Amino acid sequence: MSSTISNFLLTQVINYGAPLFALTLFLGALGVPLPSSIMVIAVGAFSQEGYFSWLQMSIVGILAAFIGDALSFGMGYYGKGWVQRKFGNSAIWISARDSFQRQAWVAIFLTRFLITALAIPTNWIAGGSGYKFSRFILYDIFGEFTWIIVYGGLGYLFGSQWELVNDFISNFGGVLFGAVILGVGIWFARNSQNSNRNIA
Amino acid sequence: MAKKNVITAALILIGIVIVAFFGIRAFHAFKHFQGHGPFRGKPPAANQIDVSIIRDWMTVPYIAHLYKVPPEAIFKSLEIPKQKENAKKNLAQLNKEYYPNQDGVVLAHVQAVMQAFQKQDPPPPFPATPVFTPTPTANP
Repeated sequence: MSSTISNFLLTQVINYGAPLFALTLFLGALGVPLPSSIMVIAVGAFSQEGYFSWLQMSIVGILAAFIGDALSFGMGYYGKGWVQRKFGNSAIWISARDSFQRQAWVAIFLTRFLITALAIPTNWIAGGSGYKFSRFILYDIFGEFTWIIVYGGLGYLFGSQWELVNDFISNFGGVLFGAVILGVGIWFARNSQNSNRNIA
Repeated sequence: MAKKNVITAALILIGIVIVAFFGIRAFHAFKHFQGHGPFRGKPPAANQIDVSIIRDWMTVPYIAHLYKVPPEAIFKSLEIPKQKENAKKNLAQLNKEYYPNQDGVVLAHVQAVMQAFQKQDPPPPFPATPVFTPTPTANP
């Protein structure tokens, strides 16, 4: 299924260029499950082949992803009331919100290009936890810039072999996603141990 | 408390499974890099590009651009009319429309023709002699 979507989008980006590329990245940033990273790597390769202008595609890509992220942040911001009513008094929510506020820049920056599966929840949490929009934008732009330059650059460097790069990057992203889940589990386990000791 | 322990154990277990699963896949993907490094200096010329990279999501104008051949010549060798709509269809769609009973024939034909074209030195005016001629089963 995902391969069918990728193939369809690859054909369409060849046919329609920048507008289709922008639309894919914009919808991806809003949470629509589209293969945005594949598109960035492929467009890098197509640019190396002289099919597109790498500069134009980079600018369009960064802008589209940025606008999508800003709207996604807005969803979290306007959904804040509901979250507050539902979890506002929960100690876990308060603790998670405070930890996010302290280290938000790491989460925002890294989820743009390294652990992309967590980008949308990060945008929602940032918006919903009252994180300053101007700061979010700053780290978001840096992250999206890194995403486009690194992924697109690898596509450009490997040219017609870009599928190898995509294969490696998507699996490596999976490793990092698993590592985050594992890290959260270990963090919970250590917290639980510490609270047990305190009780004793 | 028991519920929290179950969640913690589940997170650790799921994390390990995901890391192992994608780790193995990433390792295999990395192994494929051997011999396929990034080009150094100039990118490969059209006659050095491996025809096995042609995929059925590619369109004829894109393949023509990649291998520096006129798109009309590819359409002609496929016996498919060069219409605006056909230029926007990928090889899989053209196959489905013009050769519905011959799966993958358009992709194989384009690969074979590009290879035959590349092997000739100096390159002849395109189209090169087709390696085989598919028989259209549908009229445009």
